[in-house]
Amino acid sequence: MIQIILFKNDIKQIVRDPIMALLLVAPVLLISVFKILEVFLIPFLATNTGFDITPYNAYILSFVLLINSGMLGIVTGFMMLDERDGNIAQLLEITPLGRSGYLLNRLLFASLLSIIYCFLSFGVFNLVDVPLLAIIFISILASNYTGIIGLLIYSGADDKVKGLTFAKGLNSLVLFAFTDLFSLTWLTILSWFFPPYWITLIIKSPNSPVLYGAALLVHIIWLGLLIFRYGRRES
Amino acid sequence: MRLLSATWADMRFQLKHGFYLVYVIITITYLIVLSFLPENIFSVTLPLVVFSDPSVLGLFFIGGIILLEKGQGVLMVLVVSPLRSQEYILAKVISLTIISVLAALAITFFGQYPTVNWLLIIISTIITSAIFTLLGIIINAGCNTVNQYMLKTIPYMLLFLLPCLSLVGFPYSWLFTIFPSVAALKLMLGAYHGIYWVEATALTAYLLGFCYLLLRLTVKIFEKEIVFQD
Repeated sequence: MIQIILFKNDIKQIVRDPIMALLLVAPVLLISVFKILEVFLIPFLATNTGFDITPYNAYILSFVLLINSGMLGIVTGFMMLDERDGNIAQLLEITPLGRSGYLLNRLLFASLLSIIYCFLSFGVFNLVDVPLLAIIFISILASNYTGIIGLLIYSGADDKVKGLTFAKGLNSLVLFAFTDLFSLTWLTILSWFFPPYWITLIIKSPNSPVLYGAALLVHIIWLGLLIFRYGRRES
Repeated sequence: MRLLSATWADMRFQLKHGFYLVYVIITITYLIVLSFLPENIFSVTLPLVVFSDPSVLGLFFIGGIILLEKGQGVLMVLVVSPLRSQEYILAKVISLTIISVLAALAITFFGQYPTVNWLLIIISTIITSAIFTLLGIIINAGCNTVNQYMLKTIPYMLLFLLPCLSLVGFPYSWLFTIFPSVAALKLMLGAYHGIYWVEATALTAYLLGFCYLLLRLTVKIFEKEIVFQD
C-alpha cells in the first residue's frame, strides 16, 4: 500500500515539477531525433557515399533502446544522489517504506518508463522484424538495464561530479552492443559479461531460447550484485 | 598567479574525480569504433567525434562541478577571497579545455588521420571547449539539481548543434556561419580536410570575439544569479 502511495506521490511530483516531466519526455525527443536522422541522414549517406546502412539496422535499434534506457537510469541515479545529498533518502528509509522499499520505488518507476519507451522505439523504428514475445523480453532487459545504470551511478559516485564522470564513462558500455561488427575475439568474450551485447544479440536472433537465458542471467547477476552493494553501502 | 593556482587546483580536482581516466576510456572506445569504419566515412566521422565529444565535455561537467561547489559553500568563500569571479571561471574553462585538447589530440593521433593541421585542431578545440564551458555556466544559473541542469542544456544544445547540419550544403547555407558552433565546426573540419588560411583566420577572430563577449556575459550572470543568489 505504502508503495502505491509513494508511487502516486512520485507521479504528483513529476506532474507538478515541469522540469521532471520534461525530463521523462526527453526519450521521446531522442526517439524523434533518431527518426529524423533515419529519414534524412540514411538516404543522404546512401546517395553521397554509397554507404548502405541496412545491414546495421539491428545495431541502430539496439543503440536507440540502450541510449533511452541508459538516460532513464542516469536520471534515476542523479535523483537518488540528490535525495542522498538532501538527506531525503535517509528520511524515507526510516519510514515504513524502508531501505529496500525506497530502492524498489525509485527503480520501478524508471524501469516502467523504460518498458514503455522500448515499445515506442520498436513502433517508431520499423527497422527489424522482431516477434512480440521478443519485444516483451527485450523491454524487460531494457528496464533491467535502466536499474543497472541508476544503481551504478548511485553506488559508484560519492558526489554529483563523480556521478557525471560515471555517467560519461557508462556511455561507453554501449560499445558492447556493436562488438559483433568488430570481429575481435577478446572484445566479443569481454562483451558476454555486459548487458548491451545481449540486447543486440536478441534483436538479431529473436528465436533463440539459449540467448534469452544467457541474457537474463547476465542482467540478473548485474542487478543482483548492485542491489547487494547498495544494501551493504547503506548499512 | 591566482589564476594559475586556481587552474592547478581545478585540475587536481578533475584528476581526483576521474575525468582523465574516463576520457582515456572514452578515447579508447572511439578509437576501436573508428578503426572499423570505411575510409570515406572515417574521414568525416573523426572530426565530428572530436567536435561532438572532447570539445563539448565542458558543458557536460561544469554543471555538476558548480552545483557541487555551491553545495559545499565554495561559492560563498569566493565572495570574500581575493580570487575574482572571472579568474574562477577562467580556471574552470582552462582546466576543462586541457582535457578537451588532450582527448582531441589523442583521438586524432591514434586514429591515424592522414592529413592533419595540428595547430588548427588545438585552436578549434580550445575555442569550442571554452564556448561550451561558458555556456554551461550560464545554463547553470537557477539550477538546483544535475537533472535540472541536464534538461536545461537540451534547448541550448539544439540551438547550437542543429545549425551545424547546414554544413551539408544548400543555397545560402553559409549564412549559418553566424552561429558560433557552425564557425567552430568549420574550423575543426578545416583542420582535417584543409582550409584557406584567410578563412581560418577570419573564423578564429570571429570565435575569439564571441568567446570574449560570452565570458563577459558569463561573469555577469555568474555573479548575479549563482554567487549572490546563493
